[in-house]
Amino acid sequence: MLRPLYCCLLRLHPSGFRTRFADEMLSIFDHAAGRAAAFRLLLDGFLSLARQWTLRPEFWHELSSAPQTASDGIPSFYTIDPFRPRAGAVIHGLVLSAAVFCLTCFAIKYSWIRVLHVRIPEVQFDSPRSIQSNAGREASEKAPVPPHSVGKQSIAIPSASVSAVKAPRYDLPASIAAQNSFVQSPTTGTPESQVSSGTQPAVEVAGQPRRGLLRAPVKPRDSQPSPLLSRSVSHQPQAQQMKPQNATSEDSPSAKLDAAQRQRVIEGAIAKVKVHYAYPDVAQKMADALLAYMNSGDDDSVTDGEAFADVLTKQMRDVSHDAHLIVVYSRDTIPAHSAGATREILAPYRKKLEQNNCYFEKVTILPHNIGYLKLNSFPDPSICQPTAKAAMASLNHADAIIFDLRDNTGGYPGMVTLIAAYLFDHPEYLYNPRDNTTQQSWTRSPVPGNRLADKPVYVLTSASTFSGAEQFSYDLKMLRRATLVGETTRGEAHAGSWHQIDDHFGISIPDTRPINPFSTADWEGTGVEPDVKVNAATALDTAEKLAEKKLQKK
Amino acid sequence: MKDDATSFLPLSPATLHILLSLAGDDLHGYAIMQEVARQSQGKYKLGPGTLYDNLQRLIQRQWVQELGRRPAGDDPRRRYYSLTSLGRGVLAAETARLAGVVREARLRLQMAKPRRA
Repeated sequence: MLRPLYCCLLRLHPSGFRTRFADEMLSIFDHAAGRAAAFRLLLDGFLSLARQWTLRPEFWHELSSAPQTASDGIPSFYTIDPFRPRAGAVIHGLVLSAAVFCLTCFAIKYSWIRVLHVRIPEVQFDSPRSIQSNAGREASEKAPVPPHSVGKQSIAIPSASVSAVKAPRYDLPASIAAQNSFVQSPTTGTPESQVSSGTQPAVEVAGQPRRGLLRAPVKPRDSQPSPLLSRSVSHQPQAQQMKPQNATSEDSPSAKLDAAQRQRVIEGAIAKVKVHYAYPDVAQKMADALLAYMNSGDDDSVTDGEAFADVLTKQMRDVSHDAHLIVVYSRDTIPAHSAGATREILAPYRKKLEQNNCYFEKVTILPHNIGYLKLNSFPDPSICQPTAKAAMASLNHADAIIFDLRDNTGGYPGMVTLIAAYLFDHPEYLYNPRDNTTQQSWTRSPVPGNRLADKPVYVLTSASTFSGAEQFSYDLKMLRRATLVGETTRGEAHAGSWHQIDDHFGISIPDTRPINPFSTADWEGTGVEPDVKVNAATALDTAEKLAEKKLQKK
Repeated sequence: MKDDATSFLPLSPATLHILLSLAGDDLHGYAIMQEVARQSQGKYKLGPGTLYDNLQRLIQRQWVQELGRRPAGDDPRRRYYSLTSLGRGVLAAETARLAGVVREARLRLQMAKPRRA
């Protein structure tokens, strides 16, 4: 009992004293006979402890000057004097370390932004108005936006389907949206209306207004391909489904290509690809291939516009292996970009959104104060911002929030950013693989009065969660802000920009490679993997249970 | 060297006894304690805390050195100490000083005796 106490006492001595004498003192303690002697030694230990710590600071660390004799021939080793920096030096070191640490953090935080060409002041301080005008200017400088791409989204709004806004224009600012005509009235939906409105053939493509996404198939049930349009994209199921309809339209006397026309189209395609394709070397190879095919007469047998577009697409893909390079043929004349599109043309879309509450299908509070938002699109924020704000405000006092994106077919990145802003207390960068522009990629967090920034978030996904909804899921997952529950999403991320070749031909060219800050691969082709993999039908129950469990833990 | 030695005088009783006990033979700590008790006929008992506190300083001043060897079969925790020549010089100086003190004291006491008597 006393011995352990004495051991403790010895251990409390300064290290210099302890290493040199503790063992020997303990051996003396072991020699002590009787309790009284042990107590005396204990008392002596206490006194020694006090003396060493108070009166002998010079012996706190091991002595090096003490000669260790080696008279018996055993080699002994000496250590250099223990070095103790001055207090001032220690403080300087601390300050310097803190400064270096802060600098490093700062560099890490902003270095990748520079890679992405983000200009922070613009992003964070521009007023919405100025962003719009910038975007508008940019758009007008760029290649004319094909009505096609716009059409895909606006067209595909059969009144029966809630998810009708199929891959709405993915990233078009409102100002551009206004300039680009919505081809077809969702309500009338007739090809004639397109024609009469003087806008383009509605290419049945999931839409990026500006970027002219020619991929992203729209669900067949929602799509009403225009008979006026023939589409050359053959690698997609939808395209095949459209063929019969398109075939009927082939009867009309339009498309018989002669050699001169073919050459003009090929040269136009080459010019566009060389200028706009992300990889100049591959662009050159494609150009060479196209010319080689033309000169060898391989193209001579093709007189049908649609088939010719297919042939060109295939010839370029054989070289580039890039599925986003697509040549499109429209039997109808593609009008040059007209800035004449107005709010009136936007009206049907707006009306549709109003009728559907901007696709905010359900906003409610579930048991245990879990907020639930079923959102079937990310609609145009210029129209639906008030709805979105109201929806988020009604969930403001929830303890957790579930976003149901199982039927969400994507939409405007602006809306993705707008809603995500409620989930952060600081501006957060949302990666959007379709665009290098970053105006809409920073959340405007914190949202005044918002209380959801630190609440648990669950996102329900399904195999048909698509496009912008995948962006929402992907970014929240990568930022570890949400738990994804459900199925792997559909996997539509990339797109090309639309470039017009002539009155009937256009080409979609992937021209940007935004750097993904999270990983090398986004969800293109693979979809976004959920954190909790369950059948989409049971995802809500699962998420509710997860949220409940999480809230109980708190 | 001589000056160095005398500058530490007078020695504290503990230091004096430790040097004295090591003057005869190389000893380990416990033996020093016993030797000190023997020299003073049990009147002065040195605790290990005091002993090692003094030894620490004596080693630093190089009056005492620690020996690397120990007799076979001894407790391996024990360390043996011996006087250095410097320590021996200090002890001699202190002894001389004490001898002077004693002589002086005796002289005074003898002078005082007749007066009392």
